[in-house]
Amino acid sequence: MNKSLIPHTKKEVLDIIRATINDKASIEIIGAGSKRGWGRPYQTSELLDLSKLSTVTLYEPQELVMTADAGTRMEDVRQILAENHQHLAFEPPDLSLLYGGSKNTGTLGGTVAANLSGPRRIQSGAARDYCLGFVAISGRGEEFKSGGRVVKNVTGFDLSKLLSGSFGTLAAMVSVTIKVLPSPEKTRTALVFGLDDKMGIQALSETLQGPFEVNAAAHLPAGIAKNSSIARINTQGQSVTAVRLQGPAISVEKRCQGVKALWQCYEGFEELHSHNSDGLWSEIRDIGSLLNNQSNQIWRISVPPSEGADLVAKIRSDIQCKTFFDWGGGLIWLATDGKLEGVGTIIRSALRLAGGHATLLRGSSELRLTSDVFQPQEPALYRLTKSVKDNFDPGRVLNPGRMYEGI
Amino acid sequence: MKTNFTADQRSNPLMAMMEENLRKCVHCGFCLPSCPTYSVSGDERESPRGRIYLIKDMLEREGAPNKEIVTHIDSCLSCLACMSACPSGVNYQHYIDYARHYVENHHQRRGFERFMRMLLVYTITHAKVFKIALKVAKLAKPFSRFFGLKISNMISMAPTKLKTAEITNEARIYPAEGIRIKRVGLLMGCAQNVLRPSVNEATIRLLTRMGMEVVVSDGVGCCGALSHHIGKNDIARDSAKTNIDAWLKEFDQRGLDNIIINAAGCGTEVKDYAYMFKDDPAYKGKAQKISDLTRDISELISEHQLPTVKLSNQPNIIYHDACSLIHGQGIRLEPREHLKSAGFEVVEIPGRHFCCGSAGSYNLLQPTMANELKDRRLALIGEVSDSNKVSILATGNIGCLMQFASGTDLQVVHTVELLDWATGGLKPPY
Amino acid sequence: MRMPTPDAKIISKRSIIVERLQQIVPRGAFGENVIIDSAGLSAYECDGLSAYRQLPLVVVLPETTEQVSKILKYCNETGVKVVARGAGTSLSGGALPLADAVMLGLGKFNQILNIDYANRAVVTQSGVTNLSISEAVSAADFYYAPDPSSQIVCSIGGNVAENSGGVHCLKYGLTTNNLLGLEIVLMNGDIIKLGGKHLDSEGYDLLGIMTGSEGLLGVITEVTLRILKKPETARAMLIGFDDAALAGDCVAAIIGSGIIPSGMEMMDKLAIKATEEFVHAGYPSNIETLLIVELDGPLDEVTDLIARVQNIVNGLGSGYIRVSESETEREKFWAGRKAAFPAIGRITPDYYCVDGTIPRARLPEVLMRISKMSQKYKLRVANVFHAGDGNLHPLIMYDANKLGELERAEEFGTEILILCVEVGGVLTGEHGVGVEKRDLMEKVFTEEDLKQQQRLKCAFDPNGLLNPGKVFPTLHRCAELGRVHIHHGQTPFPDIPRF
Ligand SMILES: Cc1cc2nc3c(=O)[nH]c(=O)nc-3n(C[C@H](O)[C@H](O)[C@H](O)COP(=O)(O)OP(=O)(O)OC[C@H]3O[C@@H](n4cnc5c(N)ncnc54)[C@H](O)[C@@H]3O)c2cc1C
Ligand code: SF4
Ligand code: SF4
Repeated sequence: MNKSLIPHTKKEVLDIIRATINDKASIEIIGAGSKRGWGRPYQTSELLDLSKLSTVTLYEPQELVMTADAGTRMEDVRQILAENHQHLAFEPPDLSLLYGGSKNTGTLGGTVAANLSGPRRIQSGAARDYCLGFVAISGRGEEFKSGGRVVKNVTGFDLSKLLSGSFGTLAAMVSVTIKVLPSPEKTRTALVFGLDDKMGIQALSETLQGPFEVNAAAHLPAGIAKNSSIARINTQGQSVTAVRLQGPAISVEKRCQGVKALWQCYEGFEELHSHNSDGLWSEIRDIGSLLNNQSNQIWRISVPPSEGADLVAKIRSDIQCKTFFDWGGGLIWLATDGKLEGVGTIIRSALRLAGGHATLLRGSSELRLTSDVFQPQEPALYRLTKSVKDNFDPGRVLNPGRMYEGI
Repeated sequence: MKTNFTADQRSNPLMAMMEENLRKCVHCGFCLPSCPTYSVSGDERESPRGRIYLIKDMLEREGAPNKEIVTHIDSCLSCLACMSACPSGVNYQHYIDYARHYVENHHQRRGFERFMRMLLVYTITHAKVFKIALKVAKLAKPFSRFFGLKISNMISMAPTKLKTAEITNEARIYPAEGIRIKRVGLLMGCAQNVLRPSVNEATIRLLTRMGMEVVVSDGVGCCGALSHHIGKNDIARDSAKTNIDAWLKEFDQRGLDNIIINAAGCGTEVKDYAYMFKDDPAYKGKAQKISDLTRDISELISEHQLPTVKLSNQPNIIYHDACSLIHGQGIRLEPREHLKSAGFEVVEIPGRHFCCGSAGSYNLLQPTMANELKDRRLALIGEVSDSNKVSILATGNIGCLMQFASGTDLQVVHTVELLDWATGGLKPPY
Repeated sequence: MRMPTPDAKIISKRSIIVERLQQIVPRGAFGENVIIDSAGLSAYECDGLSAYRQLPLVVVLPETTEQVSKILKYCNETGVKVVARGAGTSLSGGALPLADAVMLGLGKFNQILNIDYANRAVVTQSGVTNLSISEAVSAADFYYAPDPSSQIVCSIGGNVAENSGGVHCLKYGLTTNNLLGLEIVLMNGDIIKLGGKHLDSEGYDLLGIMTGSEGLLGVITEVTLRILKKPETARAMLIGFDDAALAGDCVAAIIGSGIIPSGMEMMDKLAIKATEEFVHAGYPSNIETLLIVELDGPLDEVTDLIARVQNIVNGLGSGYIRVSESETEREKFWAGRKAAFPAIGRITPDYYCVDGTIPRARLPEVLMRISKMSQKYKLRVANVFHAGDGNLHPLIMYDANKLGELERAEEFGTEILILCVEVGGVLTGEHGVGVEKRDLMEKVFTEEDLKQQQRLKCAFDPNGLLNPGKVFPTLHRCAELGRVHIHHGQTPFPDIPRF
């Protein structure tokens, strides 16, 4: 077991990383450690636990901006924002049900480092789109900042993007500035039941091409819908196709009517109001309760939405699996027997034509060693990725090998 | 924009004015997408902003321009789309005219090219010579592939059937039907009256039907645009003076309410006489007066009323904006409105407006670009013509008319021919 | 403005370089694609920041990605610098040529390749103009949201390189938020595809990194964009104020009330006057400051929001409100705003457009201080800007032909930018650093901060040949940046306490 180091200040983080460099050692960076199962298994001598860096240092609701230490718990962020009727529009999921551990343990730094996003990704983007700036310590032991606290900012390269989704392999963030937005006044979900994958995605696609400002669009096959905790959904014994509408009450009402009119060709139109709506979308966002077999391996596949249904059909012809769709068909969650090998190869060969990428989000460590967790890269792209790593962390000090071998 | 003209250069009033105009250009590039040659080539030397810089370079350096500059000035259509697009108020028209004039005086063209340009102006602007040339061209059609592209393009532009004009350029008065509401002078146009006399015939029928007395005044001839656009300013000025004198004589002797022009290219030119002579004490006032009196036919109709529509079941038509109307004179809505009031359904060409490539003598001097532009325009027209059952293409300038006619099965007509037909005149083709 | 000293060795090899470029990109139907004569080069001597000019070594106009790749590979191998150029509208001198660099123009990359409504995506070559993408999908009621005022001309590749914003970015995000994929060519000739019609990158977010990279990291040849359905209704309001500070308060109050308008722009009297002459948008002439606020969505929502904004405005005591009654009128309102910069050319021979961002709440104060500076420098200034995001564009008017005026304008601009940073903002909101703000970077970033950015540069272009002299005040050699400092056999950080 590696040694746990728990800094309380930025200076201590700097010292730890520098000391690690001196020792030619390596560290694993964690916030709350809630997503440690995401990535290739790798060994480091030390564990850098940032959970004590947890202060919200700036929050100006009028300016729609918040700065907080990287170890600030997402739960705290959510709560402070909620008090001001604001939220994180990219809807970061709580992956505790997926990886085990207690609910709502993630941190802000981890959210950005994994570039999390939820169902609203299709409209509002991911963590990358909200990270306005940060302070971090690179794998060279250098403290640096990038960005700022204003939304429109092109002063220098956008390093916030570089760190978003870099899984701590380039630098350890110590503080993050994010853009926040007013929470929607009203939420409603429009549903139809009983469509197969193809038709379901077709229905979502038509809706997304309409003027309804749909901000979430998912399709749950019958076998998944029955795992929902929402009675209206789990009792149907059928698939559910759902879109979410949010905004001022009057607008939501209108748009929902529009969707209803569009969907009259399908049977069984229903609406979910605020409470049930929120329940359904947090299940879709957090995945764990819908794909609830803990021994399964879980894949996250991003594709052009129109390819979603065919891709799944193709994969199904080779393996037995449970799947559901978010992002209007563009995000596929796939769960299958945790022991099954070669799933990644099958998925990725199916992806070759469709375009997109697949990530093994959960799997045993053997599986995560043998299959590529992150989408393998073309040689030129890999060279570039490696070159980026070389420049920020030449000694392979930070989370070495978590994303790709040698990176 | 910063300029580097010397005090000496600035003492030349024309040059000073060019500089002032030039300095308005803030290099924003808003004119680029409107420019046909840039949209084809993607080369900034072929763009308005690029040309402005090239010309500035030429004027600042003085002396003979290099051959590259001449190429890019020659390749400009003078369609003036860039001028409409410019938020900063750069007068590209006067700028490019001056540049062409400068090239003409400081650049020695190859013997053959020089000869061709001279011949062209002379031929087209002299009706009798032009007619003979067209007959020769007709005979030459089968052999056109033996000539270079420029010549073969000239030959292919020549119509196979040539009608002898019933109405000649001779001075004449066409009395108004009913009560006379106006007395207007008509510019017959040099090339137009040879290539397509029916445009003038239709104009006269329409105007007289509207209660106007139409006069073709003695001495009025070519407007000068053709020479002007290839930099032969002296010839252009002479033509302009002749016309000014002739119209003023008419004005003084029998009165003239307006001068009416149905060839948009000529309209732009005559409206610009005021600028042409603004430093000429003798002609300044006179030219201003003529420019003020001048109206495109569609403007005149807007000031009055279209006669009662007699036709029914008017076909759908496509209307193409002549650059000299839309950009040169800012006339876009009027022709459409008239066509609609005359009962025609006007189908719009999709996408942005672009020049058809005719541009005075451009299609003869720059055939590759002109043909490319024609083909692009016709391709867009083709996108809507079938689906809207259109068989007629209307436009307000003889140049566009001939350009399109050489490449489409649609019947190409002048707007005024349709208006005349719908209000009791003849159905084109006659 | 100091640029890196041109490399005489490269300049002396010009004819060899030209010959090789001509082999790679042969003559096309409409002329040479390699431009070498000085007049022709002058068409490329500057971008939208015309105060800085320089003839490039040679201009090349490739037509395919393969040609771009060959050009870059050749230049990389022979140590020749390259500056990419889209439409040349950058306002920060990003596309300023270098005397010893090949200028690579993307004017011929002007085809839209694929429109895919099912995936709500458009794939296009990088030289295509921003507006023509919206035009191409307009019949199906779609549009591409980021709309820089220069959208009629600027290239989508340039938008990506600058991470351009526009009047509708307040609600719909900047280029980076609307980009799905890229094809880029690295200096070593590698052609790399990033993203596609799907979301999120595989591996590092290099798509995000390329956005706003100002032509320093790679040449963009193909772009995949997200398109949006046009809102059911959009209405723009003109709101007039007698006092700029009040307008600033109004902006803060609207955002503070939880409304995110699709656009919220401000123009002052001078700017109104100049644009009105070109566009005749119907702006009121007797007010000090004009806000244009656009609200979009279903009709009822828009009506409701307009009423809410009206309430806010009434509370502030403004006299003038006009709401667009038709689509044509709404477009007119915007046409004025969008042509505002160049229209300033009607009232001044030259202008210098500043681009800082500040926290919205500081708007009134900053505007007041700018007007004081205007008196100090004896130069007029017009204000046209994205008020909703606190992105200022003071347009400083000067006459380049008058001795010393340009310098004074620049000093004025610098003082404004330093003020922006002082109040918590940044040097540039959307126009980029380029050469113009290069030397101010140290006002915002430490040496260490800048080093990290340059490391990124080293990862993409280790020889430092792509668009050098831009963005960074001092260019470190990558070898020097890459060194791990070990002095006298000591460890890199000798004074680190042990844990
Ligand atoms: C009147 C006016 C109004 C403007 N309004 C706005 C506005 O509202 N919002 C805004 O954000 N900007 C605005 N701009 C600035 C400018 O239009 C944008 O920065 C635009 O994105 C530049 O695009 P371009 O194609 O002209 O790029 P260029 O000026 O040609 O180049 C800009 C930079 O991008 C690089 N580059 C260009 N193409 C590529 C490529 N294919 N691959 C790699 N690098 C490339 C160049 O090297 C250079 O560094 C305005 C400019 C003007 C003149
Ligand atoms: S639009 Fe006008 S100001 Fe802008 S570049 Fe063209 S000519 Fe110059
Ligand atoms: S007149 Fe026409 S061809 Fe000439 S530069 Fe202007 S837009 Fe281009």
